[in-house]
Amino acid sequence: MGGLQKKKFERGAATNYITRNRARKKLMLSLPDFRRLCILKGIYPHEPKHKKKVNKGSTAPRTFYLMKDIRFLLHEPIVGKFREYKIFVRKLKKAYGKTEWSTVERLRENKPTYKLDHIIKERYPSFIDALRDIDDALCMCFLFSTFARTGKCHVQTIQLCRRLSVEWMNYVIASRSLRKVFISIKGIYYQAEVMGQLITWLVPYQFSHDHPTDVDYRVMATFTEFYTTLLGFVNFRLYHSLNLLYPPKLDAKTQSELKEEDEEDYAMDSESYIEKLSALSASLARVVSSADEEDAELDQFPVEGEDMEKMEAREKEQKQQEAQRKMFQGLKFFLNREVPRESLAFVIRCFGGEVSWDKSICIGSTYDVTDETITHHIVDRPNIDKQYINRYYIQPQWVYDCVNAKILLPVEDYFIGVTLPPHLSPFVEEKEGDYVPPEKLKIMALQRGEKPANEQEEDNDEEEEEDEDDEEEEEEDDNADEEEDDEEEAEEKNLKEMEDKRSQGKSLQVKVTPGKVKVENPARLEQEEKAEEKRLAIMMMKKKEKYLYDKIMFGKKRKVREANKLAAKRKAHDDAEKAKKKKARK
Amino acid sequence: MAAARRLKRVAASQPGFLTLKPSLNPSDLVSGRRKRVNKNKKKNWNKHSDINDVEEFLEDVRHQERTTGGLLSEKSDDSLFFLDIGQPKKAEQKVEEPVETKKRKGKASRPLRIDLILQHDSLIPPAKDVLAYQQPNAKKLRRIAQKAEQLAAKGVVPRRQRQLLNRRPVDRTAKKSATEANNNPDREYYDIWGQESKESADPWYLQQTGKKHVKRPEKLNEKPSVLPAVEVIAPGGSYNPDFLSHQALLQEAHDVEVKKQKQEDKLERQLAFNKEDKATEETVLREQVEGLVEEENEEEEAAANDDEEEVAVGAIALAEKKTERQRKRERAEKIKEQQRLANRKQTDQQQQLFQLRSIKASIKQREQKTKANQIKRKAKQEAQKSQPRRLGKLKFQPQDLEVQLSNELAGSLRQLKPEGSILKDRFKSLQKRNLIEPRDRAKFKRRLKVKYVEKRAFKEIT
Repeated sequence: MGGLQKKKFERGAATNYITRNRARKKLMLSLPDFRRLCILKGIYPHEPKHKKKVNKGSTAPRTFYLMKDIRFLLHEPIVGKFREYKIFVRKLKKAYGKTEWSTVERLRENKPTYKLDHIIKERYPSFIDALRDIDDALCMCFLFSTFARTGKCHVQTIQLCRRLSVEWMNYVIASRSLRKVFISIKGIYYQAEVMGQLITWLVPYQFSHDHPTDVDYRVMATFTEFYTTLLGFVNFRLYHSLNLLYPPKLDAKTQSELKEEDEEDYAMDSESYIEKLSALSASLARVVSSADEEDAELDQFPVEGEDMEKMEAREKEQKQQEAQRKMFQGLKFFLNREVPRESLAFVIRCFGGEVSWDKSICIGSTYDVTDETITHHIVDRPNIDKQYINRYYIQPQWVYDCVNAKILLPVEDYFIGVTLPPHLSPFVEEKEGDYVPPEKLKIMALQRGEKPANEQEEDNDEEEEEDEDDEEEEEEDDNADEEEDDEEEAEEKNLKEMEDKRSQGKSLQVKVTPGKVKVENPARLEQEEKAEEKRLAIMMMKKKEKYLYDKIMFGKKRKVREANKLAAKRKAHDDAEKAKKKKARK
Repeated sequence: MAAARRLKRVAASQPGFLTLKPSLNPSDLVSGRRKRVNKNKKKNWNKHSDINDVEEFLEDVRHQERTTGGLLSEKSDDSLFFLDIGQPKKAEQKVEEPVETKKRKGKASRPLRIDLILQHDSLIPPAKDVLAYQQPNAKKLRRIAQKAEQLAAKGVVPRRQRQLLNRRPVDRTAKKSATEANNNPDREYYDIWGQESKESADPWYLQQTGKKHVKRPEKLNEKPSVLPAVEVIAPGGSYNPDFLSHQALLQEAHDVEVKKQKQEDKLERQLAFNKEDKATEETVLREQVEGLVEEENEEEEAAANDDEEEVAVGAIALAEKKTERQRKRERAEKIKEQQRLANRKQTDQQQQLFQLRSIKASIKQREQKTKANQIKRKAKQEAQKSQPRRLGKLKFQPQDLEVQLSNELAGSLRQLKPEGSILKDRFKSLQKRNLIEPRDRAKFKRRLKVKYVEKRAFKEIT
């Protein structure tokens, strides 16, 4: 057997991976530059399957990249720019050291910069790809736009982030695509449906400045640099899809309304436009000025039979959605000064409501407190001195809960000073048999169009009543599966009794009673038939399948049992609370 | 020269050389023996002629000029004398005094002595520097200026100015846009997905000059984790949560804490040691005298060890050589054993024919086992996809759960206190999705040691 001896680590996994340091040297970049390049190009470290093989026999923990990725990076024109920038810094330092100010100025004028446009095109070949990845970009932009304009990151970046996030919010308002809102202790989660994609983003509360020390700001700034470019292009495309002007312009009509003499109090001339945009109170200008309401109707295709039904169902759904989108249409809101203005204005405008606030809070208010046509006044304080009769004074949670329930909820639970019902997360989707909190059941009942019973009764009684109702409903829902079994058992019992009696024979009382016409309930019959079929099917099962079936049923029942337990717990808790309240009242 | 001339003039105007100094007596000069000298040599003139009187006179003139700014004899009487009209009124004096005292208080009002010394005290004005007033080419320049004036009167613009006016203004804005930074808040966007990229140039040329865009490998578009970008907080994290979901979240947070506590306790337990093992005075003393007292014993033991080793070495050397017969027998036995094993194998194989059923069963069992293992492994791999990978030195540390206790919950949106930091949440999310490796903050390492020196001023106090 001849041939050369095979050397270790010259084929296989060892050649497919490269350590970070070697990659850095291959690209001739410093570590921060390398890190930036990887983030911008979307190249992430890999964990090899067999570390020891890749690491040439050593088990030291290292960061590995795929060799192919690094080879791909070698072709990137930005790498050259990074090197140029390094040299620029060196020259600048030298000029400073020699106090050659003219050189400094000249160098600064020719500062090397780079564009990320080609990388965006390369990473997201189609617009939908970009839209799928927009969550991160939105979170980052909203986060950076709340930063204080000191240290930490460039003021320009903050301004750009603010501009892009305002543009996005204006788009969501114009397209009416907001679906869910959730106020959490962290921040506010929004979900919108844009071009069939569900997009979730998180917005921090205003003024919650906490700068953690264990976060690498440089990495975050690099991500933001990339995402601002991405979000800008996406915004452009989205605006054009709605026929809106891209650097967004306020509608001429509303703009004239907004003209005020005390504009200078809020912002400089250069900034006042974006401030007005970010007030979110005015609609945007369109390329082709069209009618205010444009109803895109579905195209009608000649269809038959089942398709017809489907079409009808779809149309119905479409109508329902349309109605939901115009939920706040015709309502006039006024925001008191203590409520979060931006978030509420955004949500209300998304569903077609009109909104205004006190002139002293922010630019762009359209009407005063004294306006007689205001229907809802949003207040977040225990009481208010001067109240108008013809408007509801409600707490801000009402708006968010309405959005999540997709209907206008009764305002009684949200009046000033009333203890609010819990704010439920719209992002939870309950499966069958899961525990559903009673508040959600109530909302679901409202959605179906049922009215909560005994509205006129006294407050306290009403609550109790409703609670009971809920409990019953729950019971029904939960026991849907069990019911069938119960019925079967009852039938069997009856049969057994009859048989017993028959077996006893003689003692059977013979009596003739006038016959009753058996009323046949077709629905009932159908149900019975189905139940019978199911039972037969269960009987026909193979042993193995039967075992599996039993297991599944057991699991379901266990879930139901757990849900019941939780419901009981909830009831106990509610009772205890009520008792406490009563005691306190006495 | 001018000064000398003036001196001569002055001397002539002074009848009889009237000097200011009275001590100067011409009779002193004449007294003493007269020395004869040749006066035909200039050297002797200088040496032997008496010029003291002239010099003194000149000195006096200079002195007058320095102190009064000119010759006293040339001054008018008004500048030399004044009319004495007695003391001024007392009232005026009194008013002035407090002002003076006040001035004295402020030290800054009196000039420093050092400044006084350095002050220029001569009253002779400094000599005029003629060169400072001279201008090279003054005549020529004057002529040019005159000509320019004439031309301007006629309305003719000089060539230089005409050139300046004709020069195009520098297009600054164009340059700015070329070097626009990425984070410029007013930057413009365009439809990047609308237009098709048009490569007008020759592809071969582009490739050779390194300007061709390399196609991105498809595999890079796969996401390194299946986790969503934004993970919504559990329903218990609502600002006004449902009771049970809030309890569930609290339970979750509690479990995490308990787990951490357990780990800490475990570490503590492992680090614990027996209290009796602690060093007492006695053991410390014994350790200190170790080897000093028991030397003799050790030596004996060492000697014993040596003996044993020698014996062992001898045993190895005593291996005996086998005889020819023994070898033959061993070989025969070996062959016999091999044959026996071969026979055994054959019979076994024959017997297997009758064990077919059990073999089949065992194979089936094994297959089932491998299948089950495969499924398990697949499931594990799927679960791994949503887990953070080990990408560097550090393992991913999940963020603390954001939780508000029941008594911390705000009644209304106004009173809500935000929990946790979104920046950190985003950062951890990036790490969790394997986009960046978990990293510690780089520690500042001092290259050279800092030397502590107590300063003298500080030393005096301590």
